[in-house]
Amino acid sequence: MLTSINPTMKAFAVLIPALLLAFTFDPLTPFIYLVFTVAVTFFTGEVAFKRWILIVSPFLLLAASFAWMTMLHPGGAFSGGDVLFSLWSFQVTTESFRAGISLGLRSLSFAALSLLFILTTDSTKFMLSLMQQCKLPPKLTFGILAGYRFLPTFRYELQVLRQAHRIRGVGRARGVKERMHQFRRYAIPLLANAIRKAERVALAMESKGFTGETDRTHYHEMTIQTRDWVFVIVFVAMFFVSVFLSYQLGFLNIFGKQF
Amino acid sequence: MSIKHHKPLISVENFSFGYDPDKEPLLKELSLTIHQQETILLIGPSGSGKSSLSLCLNGLYPEAVEGWANGEVKYNGTPLNQFKKGEINKEIGVVFQDPESQFCMVTVENELAFTLENIKTPREEMAGKIDSILRTVGLTEEKHRPIHELSGGNKQKVALASVLLLNPALLILDEPTANLDPASRFEFIQLIHSLQQERGFALLIIEHQLDDWLPMVDRVIAINRGGNILLEGKPEDVFYNHADQLKAEGIHIPRIVETVLDGNGGRVPETNRPLSEEGLVSWMNSSGMDRIPTNVQARGTSASGRNEVLSIRDVSFSRGKRSILKGINLSLHEGELIAIVGKNGAGKSTLLQVMSGILNPKTGSRLLLEKSYETWSEREMRKVMGYVFQNPEHQFITDTVYDEIAFGMKLNGVNQDEIEYNVHQLLQRFHLLSHIWSNPFALSGGQKRRLSVATMLEDTPSVLLFDEPTFGQDAQTTKELMQMIQTLQQQGTAIVFVTHDMDLVDSYCEKVYVVNGGEVSFSGKPDELWQKPDILHEAKLRLPFRVRINQLLENLHVDEKEQGVVMAHANIH
Repeated sequence: MLTSINPTMKAFAVLIPALLLAFTFDPLTPFIYLVFTVAVTFFTGEVAFKRWILIVSPFLLLAASFAWMTMLHPGGAFSGGDVLFSLWSFQVTTESFRAGISLGLRSLSFAALSLLFILTTDSTKFMLSLMQQCKLPPKLTFGILAGYRFLPTFRYELQVLRQAHRIRGVGRARGVKERMHQFRRYAIPLLANAIRKAERVALAMESKGFTGETDRTHYHEMTIQTRDWVFVIVFVAMFFVSVFLSYQLGFLNIFGKQF
Repeated sequence: MSIKHHKPLISVENFSFGYDPDKEPLLKELSLTIHQQETILLIGPSGSGKSSLSLCLNGLYPEAVEGWANGEVKYNGTPLNQFKKGEINKEIGVVFQDPESQFCMVTVENELAFTLENIKTPREEMAGKIDSILRTVGLTEEKHRPIHELSGGNKQKVALASVLLLNPALLILDEPTANLDPASRFEFIQLIHSLQQERGFALLIIEHQLDDWLPMVDRVIAINRGGNILLEGKPEDVFYNHADQLKAEGIHIPRIVETVLDGNGGRVPETNRPLSEEGLVSWMNSSGMDRIPTNVQARGTSASGRNEVLSIRDVSFSRGKRSILKGINLSLHEGELIAIVGKNGAGKSTLLQVMSGILNPKTGSRLLLEKSYETWSEREMRKVMGYVFQNPEHQFITDTVYDEIAFGMKLNGVNQDEIEYNVHQLLQRFHLLSHIWSNPFALSGGQKRRLSVATMLEDTPSVLLFDEPTFGQDAQTTKELMQMIQTLQQQGTAIVFVTHDMDLVDSYCEKVYVVNGGEVSFSGKPDELWQKPDILHEAKLRLPFRVRINQLLENLHVDEKEQGVVMAHANIH
């Protein structure tokens, strides 16, 4: 179900709440939204739990470290409240604790929203939709698609390059200066090849009659239907629901202002 | 064919093209025509501008490269610059050499749709057209697969299919089979042949390996190094009457022609000038040749009695869960030349990397000069074993040809005078002395290849590994490279190469390993391999030219004998 939502609309459905969430400084609002996002991902997204956890775990670590840093070094506005505990010269107060947890949960919400989009969206369809709905020029969208195909080749080539240099007796680089030198040695052949390949693909595309004109027919017609609108509205509305809930429970804090 | 009565499809008049207005043009004052349904073979040494010419014909050059052009190219009598952008590309389709860089979409279906969208095919008609073209090239099963998972041969078929959707009047093939294994290559050529008969497009073929294309060619155009037309005419005239001229330009001569000329003492036969393998066989039969002799002198003597320099016992290698090599055994002796062959993705390159010590297998043992790989230090190992990669550019690490060769010696602490001396020696031997201060990336393809070999030879190595050494090289460079390899072999270096070229295996190698699905399915003398059609078929290999012809000849003799017996019987009754 999630996979069949129009990609552009899905992008808006993810971006708008993410932007709005950036202003909520209390822990409850992002928490409610996080639960909602994860629930949507699993109930309608056909995403394997194991895969999701695997991708989200580095973000978990990142969020935890954000939260920890904020607790130890809160901005002036959040350093009030009772001292919860102290570590060496750092004092963690109730307010800085709250701000830290809020930041951690917000980062996780962003991660969950991004994953919801990435894991359920076909890159080709996303580009086609950007071209058909957002009127992005075909030159750009097909260029990105062609470049996307090259990523694995690029990695493979770097690996070959490393091997070839090892054969020549180039050891592992030590120190900054040597690293810089090695970077240059890798960069030249990689770039030379990338440019050559890009040129070839461009020629091949033009040989197939591609002109970059916006006037073209579409094999996959990307349309916006009622349910795409519903999807966006639900996602935005859910933000206000979580704001309302945390207001009712007395947690709500927008941009440092308690309500 | 009554070609001459038609108005030409393409006419090129006094056409010159170059990248840099201050330098010599790449193509000089060319005039040529291509008629409807005609098949033209365009030949010339590497770097003579064949590919550039093909892109000038479909209007992409000179704009795409900011080059300049003089003279005129006309399509159906209308100059190219009067066509709207993209219009001419519908009439002239191109299939390029590199299967990796011709696509912009992920799946086969979407790539084909891309072409149809470009020419504004109504959406309702697309699905039908995609299905029908997939049937035509035999890829119906692959419709929804990502292109990068397909074999090289199938990728080229996708490229062909997407171009055919344009329904072009002229199809340009720019070395489309250069990266393919021998069987896929042959299959692709057959496909083109039958498609042309069905659809009647004109063909412009750019190729180095000519034999398989010859039977369908109407006219040959040869370009020389200077970008002028060297020869033009019927294939039998060009190849038989001007063979020496072509050779002097470093252009491959079809082996069919070479065989006839050799068999006839260098003279051109007056009446029958065969261009197909069948034609060659009947010519040989009528002129009393019973077989093409083996090129024995090229091969070394037997390996027995010589020291083993490298041995691999029961080696397996896997990447993640995917097993790539399984239980490989291989042994290499001093001065031996062996080939590793097999279809794309069979594990040939991985095997070479395991032999070179860049990859370490999980199980099995490896010995180099009777010492286990694990006990060698990296530096010592690199001194006795060289590895030449498929793309020479990957091996360049400095800014000048001189430094490139001196690099290893400096690393090993050789004194300055000796370095100077050795570098000059090597550069002389590889004809690179005049480029001593050039940047390695600025050299031509053949020069890059020679330099990449030269960098491996500061000491005479005991083992030298090559990954497709002759790939994409013209006749001249291939010959030079093989001469170099043989000189090294005589000095006692053991040489291994991975290749698709069965003729190379047939004329130079003492031993051949067939790798199929990560296992060695055959190891032994090439002559023994040629007797095993099952193994060849499974590994997508093809018999070398010499053996193919000899087998055809034998069959002919058998048939004649049988006929003779029947005749004799008839006479009795």
